[in-house]
Amino acid sequence: MSSVEDILAAENELTHLLGAQQAVVLSTRIRLARNLDGSPFPGWAKVPQRKEIADRCVEALEALPKFRRGHVLRMGELGDRDRSVLVERHLVSKELASGKSGAAVISRDQTCSVMVNEEDHLRIQVVKAGWHLRGTWHIAEQLDDALGGSLKLAFSDRLGYLTACPTNVGTGLRASAMVHLPGLCLAGHMDKVSRALNQDGLAVRGWLGEGTEAAGNVFQISNQQTLGLSEEAILKHLGGWIKTVVEQEWNARRKLAQEEGEKFVDRLARSLGLLRSARLLTSSEAMNMLSHLRLACDMGCLPEERRHLVDRLMIEGQPAHVQARAGQELDSDGRDRRRAAVVREALKDFPEVVPPTA
Amino acid sequence: MSQPIKCSLCEEAATVHLSQVVHGNVTKVHLCEACAQKGGATDPAVFQLADALTSASPAPTLTCPKCGFTDIDFRKRGRLGCPSCWETFGDVLNGLLLKVQHEAAHVGRVPAGTLPSGQLRRRLDDARREMEKAIAGEDYEAAARLRDEIVGLEKQLTTL
Repeated sequence: MSSVEDILAAENELTHLLGAQQAVVLSTRIRLARNLDGSPFPGWAKVPQRKEIADRCVEALEALPKFRRGHVLRMGELGDRDRSVLVERHLVSKELASGKSGAAVISRDQTCSVMVNEEDHLRIQVVKAGWHLRGTWHIAEQLDDALGGSLKLAFSDRLGYLTACPTNVGTGLRASAMVHLPGLCLAGHMDKVSRALNQDGLAVRGWLGEGTEAAGNVFQISNQQTLGLSEEAILKHLGGWIKTVVEQEWNARRKLAQEEGEKFVDRLARSLGLLRSARLLTSSEAMNMLSHLRLACDMGCLPEERRHLVDRLMIEGQPAHVQARAGQELDSDGRDRRRAAVVREALKDFPEVVPPTA
Repeated sequence: MSQPIKCSLCEEAATVHLSQVVHGNVTKVHLCEACAQKGGATDPAVFQLADALTSASPAPTLTCPKCGFTDIDFRKRGRLGCPSCWETFGDVLNGLLLKVQHEAAHVGRVPAGTLPSGQLRRRLDDARREMEKAIAGEDYEAAARLRDEIVGLEKQLTTL
């Protein structure tokens, strides 16, 4: 069994309700950019240097208790599909997956992954299902300390952690929440919300991060500034805004349900009907319909305990996941057919959509 | 009629015209249809490339002694060569940091085992100023709290 197959098969935080899963916030993520003192950054290092850096980092990471019985994946040794699976799971970035000299060290439960030789030597990532900013931060902090104990990290007293790009220097911290905002999207408020967040120093991106569309009304909200603010201040600032966005989302949902009445329930019921009957399902159509099912679970129109299944389908309905599950390369029609079959099977014993209780 | 504008990347007539405004500086890129599609008109790399092509490319004025990275490389890539580059290009980067980060000094965590003397010193300066303010405002409770902090910081700094 390849390690990526292992990752797909394992029960984990985001797809199997191992973490406390919630309405609106799908997941919380912390990323820390770190570099080795005295070594050229990956984008400037020569191939043999990159290899030496990767070996040094991987060795240090493997020794940490957090990664015991975890996975070590070298990008140069993986096929295209396996690398795409990792990107779709947010375990590695597109940038890391597109190069040959990168590696990823992933914890057994898939909550921690460290990318080696991405833009920086080390990108520590911790992800938890639901909204758990403090808990996620504490895990990242511990990993950072443990790593700093075995590797000499590039740090300046004045500028903090030194990174390849000036947009990450200082704390090297990117904190983000993956939020599901169908209410604000349906009400047409999303542009306004994005603008307000941008003006106060937060970035709003689509489902797969930078430069991607917001399929399924899922957005990633993160801090931009990494210098001149303490980690504490960065987390507090993001936390305050996420709380506001969640409140606004609930207001929009309640207003919509109240004003639209039967039409609101009809929309959700149609999506369930379509997902249960479709023979060909594109990935963006699946995402948008699944977004309605998640909304239905949050609002009491479907049982809340089904929500984690919707989240799992959002992840596993992505193209590389569909092909990996099928165990073969599929053309676009083949993927749509297979995706429809997986979704039909998963939803076959879902109860009917009822009027909201929330 | 005036000459048609040529593509910034090849010699074809440009039909796609892009302007990018970053902190008030306007960069214009003209592309033919083929190059626009190939490069992805929204790809920021197109601007970096066009920037590198259109600006007179003078000899580098700064080179990192540690890794050989130059200021020209930085203009092309927007990324640095190695940790020492932060020192080599310090002046250039300071201005840039104020633009993209609005701040030029770190106030966050330090690596395990590193002594945060710079931060302690900065905090000491701030605390002294705050204490003076508190005394002027007759907030003696706050002033006493700050005095204790200052004593603590001074002790920490002398034992570093």
